[in-house]
Amino acid sequence: MAERYLKREDLAKLIDSVCSGEGLFVGPKMDGRQVVYAPISAYKDIVFDYIVPRNSFKEFLFPQTEVIARYAVHKDGIDLQGVKAESPEMVVFGSRPCDAASVASLRSVFTWDFVDTSYTEREDRMVIMTIACTDRDEGCFCSTVNLAPDSVGGSDLFLKETLEGGYLVDIVTDRGRTFVERFEGIFSAGGADVDIKRIADVPRLKGVDVKKIKEDLRDTSHYDNDDLWAGLTRKCIGCGACTFVCPTCHCFDIADEGSALEGERRKNWDACQFDHFTLHASGHNPRDTQYKRWRNRFMCKFNFYPNKFSSRGCVGCGRCIRVCPVGLDITEVMEEMSGR
Amino acid sequence: MSNIYLPHLVTIEDIYEEAPWVRSYKLVFKDHEVRDNFDFKAGQFGLYSAFGAGESTFCLASSPTRKGYIQCTFRSVGRVTSALADLSIGDTIGFRGPYGNWFPIDRWKGKDILFIAGGIGLPPVRSVIWNCLDTRENFGDISILYGAKAVEDLVYKNELRHWDERPDINLVQTVDPGGETPEWQGKVGFVPTVLEGMAPSAGNKVVVTCGPPIMIKFVIEVLGRLGFDDNSIYTTLENKMKCGVGKCGRCNVGDVYICKEGPVYTAAEIKQMYNDF
Ligand code: SF4
Ligand code: SF4
Ligand code: FES
Repeated sequence: MAERYLKREDLAKLIDSVCSGEGLFVGPKMDGRQVVYAPISAYKDIVFDYIVPRNSFKEFLFPQTEVIARYAVHKDGIDLQGVKAESPEMVVFGSRPCDAASVASLRSVFTWDFVDTSYTEREDRMVIMTIACTDRDEGCFCSTVNLAPDSVGGSDLFLKETLEGGYLVDIVTDRGRTFVERFEGIFSAGGADVDIKRIADVPRLKGVDVKKIKEDLRDTSHYDNDDLWAGLTRKCIGCGACTFVCPTCHCFDIADEGSALEGERRKNWDACQFDHFTLHASGHNPRDTQYKRWRNRFMCKFNFYPNKFSSRGCVGCGRCIRVCPVGLDITEVMEEMSGR
Repeated sequence: MSNIYLPHLVTIEDIYEEAPWVRSYKLVFKDHEVRDNFDFKAGQFGLYSAFGAGESTFCLASSPTRKGYIQCTFRSVGRVTSALADLSIGDTIGFRGPYGNWFPIDRWKGKDILFIAGGIGLPPVRSVIWNCLDTRENFGDISILYGAKAVEDLVYKNELRHWDERPDINLVQTVDPGGETPEWQGKVGFVPTVLEGMAPSAGNKVVVTCGPPIMIKFVIEVLGRLGFDDNSIYTTLENKMKCGVGKCGRCNVGDVYICKEGPVYTAAEIKQMYNDF
């Protein structure tokens, strides 16, 4: 039951309107030979034929590097200024349902008791326009984690492509409604009788049971089975690529950049796959081998997120599978952990 | 809303050289309002910044009963702690906190307390010790067993002397075999061994123990043999921390985030955790 209709060409007007103010319009764009979510300033830059962009759009909510404070040393003390995050209005056009779903996960971590306002202020101003998937690749497994190529959770507006190349627009949230009402001329009424493209079919992976994985990982004794984990993840070289592309990976470092006299304190993306990540100053490292680091990432997705943050740790986007240089496939481990 | 990663500025009011590479700073908040309202509980920790080098995590080593300042004790081992150790009285550093949980001292009224610390594990215990001493009437017998590798590694030497002289504390000090000096009056032996010899009774007693992980492991074993319940043994866990507020994802032991749900745990709780130490 579509509430509005959006013509593809009218995106040009939408981009202009959003970008004419302080706003940032993000969408799928070509980078080399891959499609990425990137700022879009002209209609012609949008790519319409893509499956899942290489990156997630988390970098617009939780930037790869971000200044949190500036310090300067004077002769009578230190001047320390907190830096407020910039949070322009952001519109993400062409989000995928998996990516839209991941936003609630990031939020659950960044608001767990202490609220990281540089995250929330950005997210509170982001309008997510998701397009239902009409195609998939071998990496996609959203249905296995109980999502679907047309699940609307996390989206403000949910779009379905029509055969003639426009979009039927469902209004999902109040933020979406306000946005549509602001651009009355662009989102026209009706369109209910146009035909939409077929939604992709993403069958559930046989032999994977996320609930069973979650229960199994709750049992602390499975940590004693080091051979199992070492065997499953032996290939991993700890490059961290999977964490950077993953929409729910949230780990970061806090580091000072500058001299002892002047500089800035930054939050920088970090990865639990790096060997120094948990290294103590004493030299002790609780996760001293790669399989322990990989196990931590898996635990984070299927235990910490669901059990601790009551949200989804893995949205089945398949990015970590596509990007892994050694072909370590998380679904193979999921299968193994389901069958025990 | 405020920036949760922004530290307060604190001035180094006093410096104590505790042991080789180990220093304590007495710190006072620059902002009067923060100074007057700052409160914490024994066991909590903070992140201390040397601007330009970064932040490092240590416990609050002073007692919450002493107002107007905080104290930290640290060993210079890394980049940040070395930069902190380069500072002098009057210099400014950053402090964020207090974070984490605390020792449930309120629930220990009327009980005997046994403190067992090793090396640089005394600072978190010290906060509890002074908290108990400043409200001495609430507790029964107070005993302290403290050990270090060698005599020179014992921290808070002045306070050890003071505690030794107090009639209302039973202090036992020990150094590892080979760490004694000709003048050494205390015991020689590892903390768990000395503890076994002391053979404290388990009745109506709470134990607070901090120190190297291996020491804690054996201390808990000895206490078990002596009949102590794992629920009456409290300790702290350490892990690498960056945010201190449950966001940066690195302090977890299995699913337990030390910065949020710790650092204080009972031995019973630790036995329930994933083997991710
Ligand atoms: S773990 Fe892999 S498949 Fe799951 S959300 Fe992250 S990148 Fe996507
Ligand atoms: S991308 Fe592959 S090799 Fe790199 S850290 Fe992740 S699992 Fe390991
Ligand atoms: S120190 Fe960052 S999550 Fe605990």
